[in-house]
Amino acid sequence: MRSGLQENSVAQRSFVDLDHWMERYQQADPAAPATLIAALSPALLCFFRSQQANREHADDLLQDTWLRIHRVRHTYRPGEPVLPWVYAIARRAGVDGYRKTRRIAAHEIAVEALPARFAQSEPPNGLPAFEDLVAALPEAQQEVITMLKVGGLSLEEVARATSSTVGAVKQKAHRAYERLRKLLHTYAEDNVAGGAP
Amino acid sequence: MNCRDMNHALIGRSMASPLPSEAEDHLRTCARCRLLAGALRLPVAEARPSPASLRRIETGIAAGLRPVHPMGSKNCLLAAFVATFIATVALSVYRMGAFAIAVMTPLQTSLTLGSLAVGTGLLAYSLVNQMVPGSRHRISPRLLPLGAAISLVIVIAVLFHFQHERNFWAKSWACIRAGMPIGALAAVPLWFVLRRGTILWPTMTGAATGLLAGLAGATALEIHCPNLEACHILVGHLGVAALGAVTGLLIGVAAERGLPGRRLNDSDY
Ligand SMILES: [Zn+2]
Ligand SMILES: [Zn+2]
Repeated sequence: MRSGLQENSVAQRSFVDLDHWMERYQQADPAAPATLIAALSPALLCFFRSQQANREHADDLLQDTWLRIHRVRHTYRPGEPVLPWVYAIARRAGVDGYRKTRRIAAHEIAVEALPARFAQSEPPNGLPAFEDLVAALPEAQQEVITMLKVGGLSLEEVARATSSTVGAVKQKAHRAYERLRKLLHTYAEDNVAGGAP
Repeated sequence: MNCRDMNHALIGRSMASPLPSEAEDHLRTCARCRLLAGALRLPVAEARPSPASLRRIETGIAAGLRPVHPMGSKNCLLAAFVATFIATVALSVYRMGAFAIAVMTPLQTSLTLGSLAVGTGLLAYSLVNQMVPGSRHRISPRLLPLGAAISLVIVIAVLFHFQHERNFWAKSWACIRAGMPIGALAAVPLWFVLRRGTILWPTMTGAATGLLAGLAGATALEIHCPNLEACHILVGHLGVAALGAVTGLLIGVAAERGLPGRRLNDSDY
């Protein structure tokens, strides 16, 4: 069982022994919360910012997530992986935030208008930014892809965080890649036709 | 390798780690996959929480930092759920009598009670996992209540005969009325165990808890009621489980609507 943050996770580059610090947190070690907050917050913020509906409220959701984590810290079991526990709580905070802001209609419009958005935020290599790509996916697929790439979670950990099975997560990722492949292809064709780089 | 295999190669892989050689070969010949792999390898924009925001979180947590005991082991929680179920059924059968056992064939007895026990065990295990965020689920907790209910309906339909029965509704209603208080009795201790954990998805957990409590009523009726007509068992006995699941679901929906989506104050920690 992996106990720290992988190198491929987006916002963290260093390895932090999360299990160890969670146990210290439960024992009220004053150094533990700061260590965990510093290690996990960038990826959590990235996670919320990657969600189209929660992008603007990502900072509030990060704070809300830590509030929830603090309240239910007794439910973390020493020895269990920390990331799925944290992301399961963050996911709930995200859903509540989403419902609160009721941005479903705006989300649907944004998905329809994707090619324009791609062009706006296109990095120098000619591909759309990851955030814009993910925004084109249905919510459940967005969540899986974001956890895999932004949070650095494994398939097993994503399954745990989403109260799902590994098979169901694989299927969602598979569908997400199929959809992204089509979108990217259309985008590339449009760019060739329009003379874009 | 085709595009589908390429998905498998990309799923669950660190974007920085190299792909297998067959995947690299496919990328050379497939423009679509090349685009996808390229897009997935792009770095994600860094997100840095503002120092003020981090300080606020840290200060809030530090102010309310007290040692907590980690929750009991999963086996203890599972034992609590199963003990509640068995105690409720045993108490109810003790009061009402076990008349069905005398009239059922050994096959009917073993398969009916066996499938009720399996359904109960799976639901209890799923509930234990639902109490702890980030637990591993071998069966989807969303599908399990439905799967358990359908399996029980099939077992009853196969094992018992369908016959026309006089006063069908009156007899079924009598059993439902006897079973519902048993379900309610089981629900109280189940709720006490559940509140030791954290319920992230009240609708899903409510339905599973209601079904488990209802199954306690249905099991007691299966041991008590000597009416072996299939429709009577489906409506009068399993109906208690179905009503329990619906009640739990509705309570969960109500709880979910009441869940706070909130801004943080220091006093919240
Ligand atoms: Zn391909
Ligand atoms: Zn009956």
